[in-house]
Amino acid sequence: MKLAAHRSAAGAERRGRRPDVLRLAAFGFSAIAIAAFVGLVAVFAVEAWPFFRAQGISGLFGIRWSFRSGRFGALPMIYGSLAVSLISVALAAPIGLGAAVFLSEVLPRRARIAAKVGVELLAGIPSVVYGLLGVLLLRDAVARLLRPFDPISGDTLATGGLLLAAMILPTVVSLGDDALAAIPSSQRRAARALGLGKAETILRVVVPAALPGLGSALLLGLGRALGETIAVFLVIGRQDNQWPERLMALEPLARAGQTVTSKLGGSETFLAYGDPIHWGALLALGLLLLAVVAVLSFAGSWVSLRRVPRG
Amino acid sequence: MGKWLGRGFLFSSALCALAVLAVLSIALGEIAGRGLPAFDLAFFTDPSAGAGYDGGVLFEILGTLILIGTALAASLPLAIGLALAATIYLPRPGLRRGALSALYAANAVPSVLIGIGGFIVFVHGLGWGKSWLGGGLLLGLMILPAEAVALIERIEALPRRYLDAAYGLGLTRGQVARSVVLRQSLGGLFSGALLGLARAAGETAPILFAAAVFSGAGIPRGLKESPVLALPYHIFVLAQDSFSPAGERHLWGAALVLLLLVASLSLIALPARLRAHEESRHG
Amino acid sequence: MLRTRLGLLLIASTFAISAVSAQPLRINGSTTVNPVVVEAAEILRAEKKATIFVDTQGGSSGGIAALGEGRAEIGMISRDLEPDDATKFPKVHFQATRIGTDALALVVSKDVWQGGVRILSRQQVQGIYEGTITNWKAVGGPDRRIVFFNKEPGRGTWEAFAKWLYGDPKKAPDVSHPEVGANEEGRNKVASTPGSISQLSAAWADQKTVFAVAIRRLDGKVVAPTHATIADGSYPIARPLQVVTDGPPKGLAKEMIDLLLSPRGQALVEKHGYLKAPAAGTKKK
Repeated sequence: MKLAAHRSAAGAERRGRRPDVLRLAAFGFSAIAIAAFVGLVAVFAVEAWPFFRAQGISGLFGIRWSFRSGRFGALPMIYGSLAVSLISVALAAPIGLGAAVFLSEVLPRRARIAAKVGVELLAGIPSVVYGLLGVLLLRDAVARLLRPFDPISGDTLATGGLLLAAMILPTVVSLGDDALAAIPSSQRRAARALGLGKAETILRVVVPAALPGLGSALLLGLGRALGETIAVFLVIGRQDNQWPERLMALEPLARAGQTVTSKLGGSETFLAYGDPIHWGALLALGLLLLAVVAVLSFAGSWVSLRRVPRG
Repeated sequence: MGKWLGRGFLFSSALCALAVLAVLSIALGEIAGRGLPAFDLAFFTDPSAGAGYDGGVLFEILGTLILIGTALAASLPLAIGLALAATIYLPRPGLRRGALSALYAANAVPSVLIGIGGFIVFVHGLGWGKSWLGGGLLLGLMILPAEAVALIERIEALPRRYLDAAYGLGLTRGQVARSVVLRQSLGGLFSGALLGLARAAGETAPILFAAAVFSGAGIPRGLKESPVLALPYHIFVLAQDSFSPAGERHLWGAALVLLLLVASLSLIALPARLRAHEESRHG
Repeated sequence: MLRTRLGLLLIASTFAISAVSAQPLRINGSTTVNPVVVEAAEILRAEKKATIFVDTQGGSSGGIAALGEGRAEIGMISRDLEPDDATKFPKVHFQATRIGTDALALVVSKDVWQGGVRILSRQQVQGIYEGTITNWKAVGGPDRRIVFFNKEPGRGTWEAFAKWLYGDPKKAPDVSHPEVGANEEGRNKVASTPGSISQLSAAWADQKTVFAVAIRRLDGKVVAPTHATIADGSYPIARPLQVVTDGPPKGLAKEMIDLLLSPRGQALVEKHGYLKAPAAGTKKK
């Protein structure tokens, strides 16, 4: 529903009534908000510049990160971020979307509300508390689980992926439920009238219609996983330069690693400020992360905000 | 599709829901189970002592409250401004999608980047050092997009006839905004704000860089060099100690306090959100 | 007239009071020095109503960075000052005051200790660090993979380790191991991971959960890190515990450092398992 400003109202304003203070305030505050975010990106770009000038963007795409020798290859960290996030989406997508289907299509109203409360609670658990749970519970469990891979300890990429899966689960369930709920009940009724069973209705009518929203839910979940710092920091082992010999192998997942966020949230950031290139490298990493998360977010929005040309 | 296949599908979706429930129960159960033993009056009224393991979490709680209060005050005017601009003052067709997309993207900015940005701008650039205001502003920036989106969606859900009537009476946009739109959508603002507060309370990265110290801070005085203690940072530092039996009870207690704070903030907002949600179900 | 004067006096004194109490003392740095300073800060807070903030972001190098960038008045470090510190912050005159002595211990987990690894030579430690020795049986222990938890480079403990092995931390080779930050984290990781070893402050090796091995020196003598051997210099990897200021300490920072050097402060040093600062004029090792 559009809130179009009626021409007459706008016209009345132009005809010399008192200036609309609220309008000025609204635009003023909007400008501040936009400036703050744009400023954030600008600050990052400015501080990253010394690194880009010295080593170019390709400086980030090496295999070794060793600030003492001026090498800032971030590929192992990028691998770590991707591995951890993709694991989490791979786990959270089926479970979360399945739960969303159950929530939206099967549960009666009362139970659904109770379930939504539960999902909200899960979503609200702060990441540091997830990290604590990961440190004290998950690590041992994963160490036992991964015994065939002979891990050093429970601090592995797999642990990070598992923890992140739990963290993005509520996002996937909630957004998935929103997407399914947005499909008009007229479509369901029509399907049932045609003789389709409940499961068929869901699988053949509702889910396909909700695919954009469901896809968007996954994209946003992925974005959240990529951006998570604290929980991952605590369980991932923080071992640099873990570049796998074979990219698609499972074995590296059972070893400690490093993600872009665990590096940025770690103690190197407290040492680096004095050295423009080191600091610049870290901020360049931050820009990379920002770019990827932004792209994912815009992709998710584009997918779900597209006008569905159906009644 | 065979009947049994269909039943199987529904059954597995139920299993998925059960799995989510299991994760929730395990998480909450562990935190509550391990944290409750730490709860006594002293835990809430005593400052932390020793190396952080002993004593209570009084100033951590106060610090967190100061930070989220500041975040709220900083973010609300901006969120309202954005929402009004996007819905009333500039509602060109393409703008809505663009505005919402931009807000979703802003909401997705990783908090560690906001923290580092704050480190550059507040700690160094403005020379504030670690300060509660810097931290509060950063948290406010972080929760601003979600608040704006909540308000926009609430405004857009207003029945058209309210606005038609108002404009029909000759009210200007500003008057319509004040007396009709804002008043009717306060609920959305309220719940958006509460959810923002809940998120801000639990964030570690922004305050780690710009607002929190581990020991020594109480009630902040002044603006510069006035850090606070905070629950998330406290937990984060102690969590890296892992396994130390000395502080385990204290640590879980702190985690439970944080969880209760966050949960109460989100739960207050819940009825309004559920109502709005159910209203918009199934078109 | 009198009221104006009194009013001005009141305002002036408020400024004076707030000027004195408004300047907080910010301390950041090593987790080894931290427990002592935290307790000293509590004393100073109680006695002088002072505002003192203490944190350990980044360890020893984080302390230097905070001091250099103007984010702290005192940096805590568990190593000597290095030329690199001055190069990184040319405008700062780092002045270190020694408040105690500690040693670097190589600690192993219980299974390794009970499996017979009680002594390691510098060569062996270097081999483990560089990855040429990968199994405990090569050094007299059980048949088990060696897990090395490396202190984050930048931690004073790591610098002392690198200096001992290579003479200069900058000469340390580029190796990657899982990292630990604070002393507490290191101890707990080793305690909970079978087959592990890490660098740790000697005072933190409780010989119950983690066990400090003795070092076989180049001359063949075997020395365990005890207070006696650290004090007389026979244990080869001792390191100073220091607080650093920009120029000579003044104001609240000076009061803190004076407290740390006083008998009360030195008692705190010993309480946490470290050795007292050597008396002035004693040869430093």
